[in-house]
Formats: sequence, structure tokens, C-alpha cells
Amino acid sequence: MMTAQMFFIAFFGLAAVWFGIVVFRTFSMVRSALALLFSQTALGAMFLSMQAEFLGVLQIMMMATEMSIMAIFMVMFMMDPGGLGEMEMTHQKRLSLVTGFVSFVAAVMIAVFVDWGPMANTFPDAAQQTVDLGLELLGRSMLIFEMAGITILTAMIAATAVAIQPAKKVSQ
Amino acid sequence: MTTLLVLLLLIAGAYFVAVLEAWISNGRFRLAAPLYATIALLGRESIVPRKPDRIFFEVGPVLLLLSALLAATVIPLTPDLIITELATGALFINAALVYVLVALLMAGWGPDGAYAMIGGWRFLGQLIAYAMLIVMPITAVAMRAESLLSTQIVVSQLGLWNIIYQPLGFVLFFVASMALAFLPPFDMMIAKGELAGGVEAEYTGARLAVFRLGRLVLIITLASATAIFYLGGWQGPWLPPWAWSAIKILVVTATMLLAGRYMPRIREAHLLSWCWMLGIPLALINILIVGILVLEFP
Amino acid sequence: MIAGARLATLSGLRRLVALSMAQDLGVYLIPGPEIAGVYGLDIEATGMHIVASPRHASVLLVVGKISPALCEAAAVVYAQMMRPRVLFGIGTTELSPLPEADILADVSQQGLMEGVRRLRIALAEGAFNPAVSDFDAPMLQTRIEYTCSMHPEIIQDEPGSCPKCGMNLIPRDAQARMMHAHTEHPKMEGVDYSGMDREATVEYTCPMHPEVIQNEPGSCPKCGMTLEPRETQNTHHDHAGMSHGDMGHNDMAFMSMIDVTMDLPRSSDGLPMDWIDVPFGPFFPGLPGGLLLTLTLDGDTVAGSRAGTMTGNEPLLLQSAMDINKFTERLAKLEPLAPVCYQVLACLAIENAGGLDIDTEIARARAIAVERERIVSHLGWLALFGRQTGFDWLLRRATSLQQDFLHADIKQIVALKAAILDLSGRLQHTPLLKSRTTGIGRLGADTDKILFGPVARASGINNDVRNNDKIYGDLGFTPAGGKDGDVRARLQLRVDEIGHSLALIEKAGITIDSAMSACHVFATNNIDEASGDGEAVIETPRGLARLQLGLENGRVKTVQLATPSTFHLGLIEKLTAQQELGDALVTVGSLDLSPWEIRL
Repeated sequence: MMTAQMFFIAFFGLAAVWFGIVVFRTFSMVRSALALLFSQTALGAMFLSMQAEFLGVLQIMMMATEMSIMAIFMVMFMMDPGGLGEMEMTHQKRLSLVTGFVSFVAAVMIAVFVDWGPMANTFPDAAQQTVDLGLELLGRSMLIFEMAGITILTAMIAATAVAIQPAKKVSQ
Repeated sequence: MTTLLVLLLLIAGAYFVAVLEAWISNGRFRLAAPLYATIALLGRESIVPRKPDRIFFEVGPVLLLLSALLAATVIPLTPDLIITELATGALFINAALVYVLVALLMAGWGPDGAYAMIGGWRFLGQLIAYAMLIVMPITAVAMRAESLLSTQIVVSQLGLWNIIYQPLGFVLFFVASMALAFLPPFDMMIAKGELAGGVEAEYTGARLAVFRLGRLVLIITLASATAIFYLGGWQGPWLPPWAWSAIKILVVTATMLLAGRYMPRIREAHLLSWCWMLGIPLALINILIVGILVLEFP
Repeated sequence: MIAGARLATLSGLRRLVALSMAQDLGVYLIPGPEIAGVYGLDIEATGMHIVASPRHASVLLVVGKISPALCEAAAVVYAQMMRPRVLFGIGTTELSPLPEADILADVSQQGLMEGVRRLRIALAEGAFNPAVSDFDAPMLQTRIEYTCSMHPEIIQDEPGSCPKCGMNLIPRDAQARMMHAHTEHPKMEGVDYSGMDREATVEYTCPMHPEVIQNEPGSCPKCGMTLEPRETQNTHHDHAGMSHGDMGHNDMAFMSMIDVTMDLPRSSDGLPMDWIDVPFGPFFPGLPGGLLLTLTLDGDTVAGSRAGTMTGNEPLLLQSAMDINKFTERLAKLEPLAPVCYQVLACLAIENAGGLDIDTEIARARAIAVERERIVSHLGWLALFGRQTGFDWLLRRATSLQQDFLHADIKQIVALKAAILDLSGRLQHTPLLKSRTTGIGRLGADTDKILFGPVARASGINNDVRNNDKIYGDLGFTPAGGKDGDVRARLQLRVDEIGHSLALIEKAGITIDSAMSACHVFATNNIDEASGDGEAVIETPRGLARLQLGLENGRVKTVQLATPSTFHLGLIEKLTAQQELGDALVTVGSLDLSPWEIRL
């Protein structure tokens, strides 16, 4: 059981990393966006392997829509012809290399040096997890999530307002 | 064993949908027609367009079939006839069906043809319209059942089916699932008169057969989902549970197929504005009403 | 034996497959379903189903004689069909460059039925054949060229390997057409083509390290390989050429969306996108067959359009002078969508030139023949509208009503009144129909364009020549009218006109046979010597057609024809600009253009 679980976590983890690499190795906007989607889906599958069912399903569901919408925006603005327009997916290489390396080191350090506490031997079943998550979201963490939600909503409205500005100019 | 049985039932259901669709469309009831059509498709050439995005082109139809099948795994046809009972069943159906969008985007982008590509992107626009109207009615259904387990949702309707308990949610979910299954009048992405087949246009032979099978399974899956969310699933007097499931699913399918015949295709802009300006407020009201009902009259 | 068989021996399991193929016939119609409709052919009654893409068809059905240009386009469609494919000709044998038709039949429902029966047998026996040759035609050639993915400057006609790097060459479209060949890409107004015209500058880069770019040849500082030259402008652009802007290979700072999209032309939705030229036609399922519409799409919005016809451009007079009876026949064949109208028009013009007077009875009989054709034509338009908008019920209902009217005698026609009333009522209460058609393709009464027929009347312009016709006045003719000038008004107006024409036929009480027999030139003794100029006008289902001709000793010497579709074709560009694709197609459809009568 434990080995199977480890195997799947490793498998999906590697898949996530691989698709992450594909994002920059391809020359097509749409492929790049969908590779990112499958990278995120693999993360969702990792959650599932770790028996965090609700989180896993949610991740898999949300990412499909988000990445597809990202794909159309990329195609719209970058006008990627035919999908195989030989468009380079990387830029600002030095900066990204440095940032990537620093974040990687930081992530490894956190994983290694943080005291994660004793390993839990029992955990609630999937249905109970969902209930616990709901109580957490509407209890202790409610303020944080509501704040985040309202911030995002504000940002969305602001972005829309900025986006429709040129249309006004045309009408004048 | 259960898996095999459910798969066989799904294929049988898809076959039935094909017969029904042809019957509604051209008035001829021919039981053997889909069989002939399938064999003919498999025997015909299947070519790849000249400049395809090969991966997308090949994966698209398969992913469409796969996501419809995955969504069907958590749908109980009888109390025991369910492939896997997930604690997040109602959410899982939605998660699996979102990949219909990904499949159509891939299938639209893959062949490097204008009609297909426009079709694929049109479906993305459609998703922005219908997505919330799938999730929010399901939320209200789960609120009444106090569970995301699909069997629990059916059991919760023992006294009163959800179609009566929350009619608003039913109407929204029904319309949204027609849009999700790209049935007329929401068939902008495979429109014959506007895009000459759209996403389907470049698929041939066996690949087309998979695409069409995927679409049929998607229709039957959505009809089954409607039946368990709103029509009490397998429940009903006199007849055995499987018979009730079958009757309800068939009635829902027939209604979905018939409705589009009597109206022209909807305009994208109207679909979006109606869904957001009318549908989403109604869905919120539905959640509010169900919330009050659940709290006040448990 | 069919020419388009699939290359294999017919044995074992394949026999079963061939039998299934004979049962499942997807048919692609050339020039289109509307032509089959006016010829009185009910395609679906034969058990075949009409498909929207040549890729899904197993039968290519050519109905009636078509122009050489259409034959060429049909050959491209034939090449796009999957084998086994059958070529089925009805009422025509001249199909070159298409191969010889596998099945031939007469223009009649019986002929069609019999043809389909033979077609099924031919498919069941010959779907697989080890000895078939591939279909090839000149217009299918020279469209594939081979290029290296690493060295785009290598282009050759034959497959092979790249002389520079030895990689296998990849095939590509020489012209990168989407569906139909031989459409040119003339420059659109308002599009920035500077990116295409700009002198391409050569820069040098390393095949292994694309970030190494310099202006002079040399070796790569990273790996020492010789740098390869390349052009900075990507001139081999897949879709319509757009200036991508120099995205600064040299200073790859942040790629700013604003910089990239700043100078691009804006469409109505404010989102600049890649522009693509998409051909709709000449056999597009939602438009009349023969009409070639090329839309430049900016996302889902129409940024520009070009329309033309691939049929109907032949000269009217085949020889220097033409016998009058031959001429009327010729004019009737010119427009298969309204043959009676043009036949009557020719008669009127000849009679006018010859100074003949036509008595009221004959004029009335002719009017009835024209009105019957108007009903048939408008029903055909309704069917096309239903096909285009996916309104399945309307498509079926209008098609079957059209067949009823074509085959009915006077009593049966009068009896169909209830069905027309029912249709009209249903269209009033169809959900989504109003929102689909209202406010789209609006042409106000104050438009500076010349409008004719239903399009004009729906805009409140009443230039119907029937208004001043005494024959119509005696029959109590009231012109139909609208005022909104949008697709909704045109739809409503055509439905109303069907009712009005039906009332005229009922009032006149002339049998269909006698009405049809009145539609030829009534030669008196001296018509053979008649000389002079004549002119006639007629209100065809699409609007006013005017024919001027000169007679010399009873033969037609000069001829000039003005048709409504020729004028209406020019409306498309303005009407479709900045509309959504679906709306643009509905708009073009609502003009009821006939590619056959367009004279350029």
C-alpha cells in the first residue's frame, strides 16, 4: 500500500516536473499553456495519491478552465499563427535562471529544515476531510479567505475597468 | 465486474442516443443505422491533415471520450451499480467534464484548419457562459443532501425529488448541461451551417468514430447526472431500481435532443449575457432558497 | 467498379464493411441542396443524409450542369473526400476535371432513387479494389512543397533530405490554403502589411544557441559552430500577413503586450488578434452553392470580406445572333433558382422589341407562373436559413412544402394555404428566433445603395413593379412591406409574400399547366422579320430584373441584363463589417443572393 502510494506520488511528481519543462521547450503558445495545465493536473493527481481527495479534485477541475482561458489570451495577444509559429517561449533568461535557482534552493531548504512534527498514523476519511475543510473555511480561516476573495474580485473589476478604457476613446 | 457492466450500459445508451438522434432529425427510426455508420467509418480512410499539431489532433477525441467516461464512474444506476463511490462525487463529475473543454480545444487547434479552430475557441466562450450554471445548482443539490456522495444525493430525495424541491436549479442545470454537451441550440462549435462541421470537420474514419462516440457518451452521462441530481435516481414505485434509472435517463436524453430542433442556434453574445445577467443571479437565489429550506424545514 | 474505391482486395471482413458502407451514405451536394430542391429532388427520401464537410461524405452528388470553374472546385472537394467515394451525376455528364461519374441518372426523383439503388450495389461490390488509380487533377498539384524545419530557405517540390543538415524535409502547403484552392489574397484595406513588405534583413545565429545573434557571419562564441544566416522577418506566414512588430531579438527585455499590439487595427470588440482569411464557399452548407465568400476574421469578428460567384459569368449570347426560342431557353437555364421568371422576362423583352401585344389572359397566366415560382423560391430560402442557423424543424418543413408546391396542381396549392399559415404562426413564436435575427444586417430606408425585391421592401422601400401592373391590380395585389430592414424583417416579409402569392394564385383560378404553357414567345407571322430594340422588367423572387435586347430579323442580336443579385453582392462588405461570424453569415444569407444570376 505504502509502496504503491510512494510510486504514484513519485510518478505524478515527475510528470508535473516534465510538463513544467515542456512549457518552455515547445514553440507553440497553445502547447505551452496546455503543458502547464497537465503539469497542474499532475499536481492534483499527487494530492489524490496523498489521499487529499477534495483538494485533488478541486485542483484538477479549476486548472482546466484557468489554463484554457490563459491559452486563448496568449493566442489572442501574441497572435501565434497556426500554433507552430516557432515562437520562443523564454525571455529574460538570466533573471529567470537566477530566480528559479533561488526558489528551488529555498524550497529544498524548507523541505529539509522545517520541523514537520511527528508522522500522523491515522487520518480522517475523505468525507470527514471534506467536512473538516468546510468547517475550517467557514470558521477559523474565514476572515483570510473572505479577504482574499474580495481582493481578487476587486482586482477583476479593476482589470475590466482598465481594459474597457480604449473603447471609450473611440466613441468620443 | 461492475465496471464492465456500467461500460456496456454506457455503450448501449450511446447507441440508443444515436438511433434517437437520427429519428428526431430525419424522422426515420432505423435500429441498425448507427451500426452501419460505425462499421463504415472504421472501414473508411482516416487521414491526418497536412499541417497538424499531431499530439493535439490525436489526443482530442480520446480525451473527450475519456472525460465523459470518467464522469460516469461516480454515477449510481442502482444502489450497487456504481463503479467508484467518491466522497467528492458531485464535484468529481464536474471536474471530469471540464476536460471536455480541453478535448475540444485540442481537437479544434490540432488540424490547423480555420473552421475547426474557430469551433474550438467558441466552446471556450461557451464554457465561460455555462460553467457556473453547472457548479452552482450542484452546490444547492449537495446542500440538501449534506454530502457530495452521489448515492447520498439520491437517497436525500426519498420524500421529494429535487425537481420539485428546487425547480429553478433543475432548469438551470438542464440548460447548462445541454450547452456542455454542445447540443442544439448550443452547437456553435460543430455547427453545420456556420462552420461546416467545425471541430468535427477535419476528423475522418476511426478518429471521427471516437469523437462521435465521445459525444454520445457525454450526452448519456449528462442525462444520468440530471437523473440522479434532480429526478431521484433509481427511486420509484412498482418497477425495479434499474428500470427507473433507465426510464429517467432516456426521458431526459430525449428531451435534450428534441428541444434544439425547434429553435435556431443561439448567438454567442446572447448566451453569455443571459447566463451571466440572468442565470447566475437565479442560481444564487436558488442556493439561498435551498439554504433556507434546509435550515428551517429539515 | 467505382473510381474512388479504397485500395484493397474485397474479401472476408471487408465484404461486411462494404455492405455497411452501402447502407450509410453521407452525401455532399454540388452545387448545393437548394438546386436539388428546385429540381424537385428530395435527397433525404432516398435514405442518404446530407453532410456538411467533404471529409464526412462518401457520395459526391452533382446536380445539373455546372460551370467549368465549379467543376474545378468540385474536383478539390472530391479529392478531400475519404475513399471509398462515389461520384454521382444527375442530369450532367460534363464534369472534367472530375473523373467520369460512377453513377449517372436523370433529373427526376425516380432517376435519383434508381441511381441510389445502383450506387448501393456498386459500393457493396466495389468499395475495395486492388486496382484503382489515384485521382489527380491539375488544380490539386503544385500545392505541396517540401521544406526543412531548421532551414526554411530550403524549399523544393520533391520530398527528400535537407542539403544543409540532412534532416527529412517536411511537406507544407505552397499557398497555405485552408480548404479551397486558387483563392488569392489581395491586400485588405486598413491592414498593416508593412511587416510583409519590409526588406528582410539577414542576421546570423547558432543552430544550437538561438540566443546568439549577430549581424555578421562567424562562429558561435559558445560552441564554435558556424553561424547560420536567417531572415529577421518571418515572411512565410501561415495565416494572413500581419506585422508582428519587431519583438527585439537583440534586446529581449520584457515582451510588452502593449508594444506588440499597439499599431494593429482594432475590431469592434477592441481585441487585436491574428487575422485569418477563411473561404466560405463555393459549396458552403450555409450559403447558396456557387457563391464564394471570403471573410477576413479577427477572432470571431469579420474584419473584411470579399464576395464573388463561381458560376453565372458566361456570356448571354453564345453565338453572334440567336434564335428567339433558343434565347428564351438559354435565359431560363441561366438561373436554375428562378427559371420561369427569366423565361417570361425574355418573352416580354422579345415581344416588346417585336411590337407584339399580349392579351390579358396570357399575361395573367404568366403572372401566376411567376407567383408560383416566388413561393417555391422563398420556401427554398427558408430551408437555407434553417440549414444555416441549425433550425432543423424549419429546414424540414420548408423543404417538404417546397416539394409539395412543385408537384401540386391548382387545387392542392390552394389547399396548402393552411400549412403556410401554420408555418407563419410557428415562426412568430419560435424561441430564440427573434433574438437571432433582430437588428442584424440592418439596411435603413435611407441607405445610399440601390435595393431590390424583398430586401428593399423589408427596408420600407417599395419599388415593386407589380404595383403598377394592371394584371396584379385586378387580382387585388397588395405589396408586402416592412420597415426595420434587418434579417428579421426580411424573414417576415418573405413569409408574408408566400401568403400573398398564394392568394393571387387562388384568385386567378388558372391551372398550373396553362400558366406554364403561357411562358413562351407567342410568335405571330411577322416575328421572324421583326427588328428593333426592346426592354422588359420583371419582379423576380430576388427583385427587379431588367432585360434590354435588340432584334434583327427575328434573331437576338444584342442583349443586356441587370439582375438584383449583382447589385446586392456589393452590399456584403459593408453589412458584414465588424459583425460576429454567425451574424455575418445570417446577413449574407438573408440577402438571398443567387450566384447564377450575378453578372460581373
